[in-house]
Amino acid sequence: MDLIISDLSHHIRLNKGFFLWMGFLVLAFLACLFAYTRQLKYGLGVAGIRDYISWGLYISNFVFFVASSLIGMLISAVLGLIGMKWVQPITRIAETIAVAFAAVAGLVIVMDMGRPERLAYVFLYARFQSPILWDVTVITTYFVISLMLLMLPMIPDMAVLYKRYGSLPSWLKPVYKVLSLNWTDHPEQNRIIHRSIYILLILIIPAALSIHTVTSWLFALTVRPGWDSTIFGPYFVSGAFVAGSAAVIIAMFFFRKNYRLKDYLTDLHFNNMGKVLVLVAFVYLYFNINEYLVPGYKLKRADAIHLRELMSGHFAVMFWLVQVGGLLIPIVLMLFRKMRKPLPLTLISVVVLIAAWFKRYLIVVPTMAHPFLPIQHVPDNFKIYTPTLTEIAITLLSFILVLIIITLISKFFPVIPVVETAKEKGLDPLKSNES
Amino acid sequence: MKKLFYILLPVIITTLRVEAQNPSWVVPDDQKGKICLVRFTSDMAKQGEVIYLKNCQSCHGLPTKKNFASIQPSPGDLSENKVGTQKDGELFYRITTGKAPMPEFRNILTEDERWSVISFLRSFHKGYVQPDPEKMAASIGKRIKLSMTYDTVKRRILVKAVELTSDGPVPAKGAEIVVFVKRYFGNMQLTDPKPTSENGYAGFEWPQDLPGDKSGNVIVGARVNDPTGNMQEAIVSDTLAIGVPTNKPALTDTRAMWSTRDKAPVWMILIYTLAVIVVWYFIIYILLSVVDMRKIKQV
Repeated sequence: MDLIISDLSHHIRLNKGFFLWMGFLVLAFLACLFAYTRQLKYGLGVAGIRDYISWGLYISNFVFFVASSLIGMLISAVLGLIGMKWVQPITRIAETIAVAFAAVAGLVIVMDMGRPERLAYVFLYARFQSPILWDVTVITTYFVISLMLLMLPMIPDMAVLYKRYGSLPSWLKPVYKVLSLNWTDHPEQNRIIHRSIYILLILIIPAALSIHTVTSWLFALTVRPGWDSTIFGPYFVSGAFVAGSAAVIIAMFFFRKNYRLKDYLTDLHFNNMGKVLVLVAFVYLYFNINEYLVPGYKLKRADAIHLRELMSGHFAVMFWLVQVGGLLIPIVLMLFRKMRKPLPLTLISVVVLIAAWFKRYLIVVPTMAHPFLPIQHVPDNFKIYTPTLTEIAITLLSFILVLIIITLISKFFPVIPVVETAKEKGLDPLKSNES
Repeated sequence: MKKLFYILLPVIITTLRVEAQNPSWVVPDDQKGKICLVRFTSDMAKQGEVIYLKNCQSCHGLPTKKNFASIQPSPGDLSENKVGTQKDGELFYRITTGKAPMPEFRNILTEDERWSVISFLRSFHKGYVQPDPEKMAASIGKRIKLSMTYDTVKRRILVKAVELTSDGPVPAKGAEIVVFVKRYFGNMQLTDPKPTSENGYAGFEWPQDLPGDKSGNVIVGARVNDPTGNMQEAIVSDTLAIGVPTNKPALTDTRAMWSTRDKAPVWMILIYTLAVIVVWYFIIYILLSVVDMRKIKQV
């Protein structure tokens, strides 16, 4: 038992590597924060977005973040509830990613606001008819549920570590004591926590489906070419699972290596996650074919312009790299068992994740560049969108924030559930029996 | 030689295109002399600017800014010399009659409004001197006074035109009368213009299916429409309860998706509120029960 505890918790300490990594993140964060202060001072004009293409990097990034956060629901709820035992060590990683991305997704929207001090107006003057209000509501709800799904299963872990792990940093002890809520493994406590987690796991499925469906409705409830689609909800949700699965695989790889968790995050887990990724990528490919073939067959005038821009026009290089390099080739590669080993799978996931980001860009920007009425009498930078350095720095800011949150959570709490792992092996974590 | 031709080709094409702008928009001579009967003032130009922004700017852009729409034939910037050298009467005629794609403003703007647009444009034309209205007053057309009644038996609008001469009013014969109904944007002309009879009357059949407001009110107007310039403009208008009473609430009056929050559809408020309450009920319930867990001590 002690071995499990120390294996899963030895990384909870302030070491040199942590300070270096956090120092780097904080410095980068400050540098990018400077870019944001510039935007606060001079307004959104410092970004490349203009009247016609008013949704650029920020909104693409927002969609990507919401997408990535969806994975918490897939791993813990869907796979967990249907009894997939192997997901157990990954659930916390998935929830950590969900919490970090969902938390920052809200901030990304604030970054896209010219007058963020008027944020309260979004609520004060909210209209029930507006998908914006639905979006704010479901993202807040999803964030809270994800946070609870991260913290509740951690309560027994923290009690065990507080009582039995001698190397727990002394400054973390009070935190663990408070958060463990007097956990004594009492049957009543077990009953409450299991019931709570069970309710949350059910609750998170509609919540997660809502957040990305509503995010897709921000686009699909317009009549613009490329957005005017009835399958945008499932299209976004399946795309979200692709991005999220890739993010989880990358995180698994890093934790396995840096926190020395080889015995707990085994090849089996990578193999299975690879299969999950292939499955969701196939579903996403199916939706992609629908999304482009159906308007491409009818070729209504506005759709024709849009599709030509994507497939052979201004966005063609990015489009084909994303579709072929970021979706088709990874699917084919991952069909082979060898490619689902940790290292190749992680490399594939990195490509898939980057492509997933650019895919959001391809969904948001080209449609904005082609409104129904011709763009006339405007400077050239209104017609073609080029992100500015400031804008890119502010986008990086959100990524750095996600990394900071993931680092903090994974550094100060066990990445893999301790008590569950112990119970799996028939051990009683609070009693000192040797394994 | 061939080279020179290719160099000159674009120049020739551009020139031809510029020429093609209004090759045959000829203003009749008798219209060129028409002038405004009041002096252009800055107030008038300001009124004209408001009208200009509403009716002209979408194609012609803002004067001097050269931001007119890029369509063929080119609308052009109206502050340019090409426009500035034209007589008031020419501008007035062009605004009044239009020439596709330029719309005619005959029934959209009143004469006064058309003149104030011209007065606004003139403020950009350097060297423009307005013809003296007083001196010109002698040469202008007859003064006409109109009156309008509704004949409930024959169901028609009866317009009477009277010429105000120095000897007193006499019936105006042959004055071309246009009857129109006011709508949201501009006026709707009822029928073709009709000349007045010997005793100064012109009758217009009133369509029985024309919608009015809640109580059937419509704003009907009559105007002397005299392209020859022999007669001054005269207008009469009146609110008559002769339309079909129509009670169409405005699109934003009822609860609808596009209305304000206070007019959101009831089902939408219900579903949203219900969903939020149900989900947050469970979240708060779980939070409370988990916090309660602290009280349970090991037996």
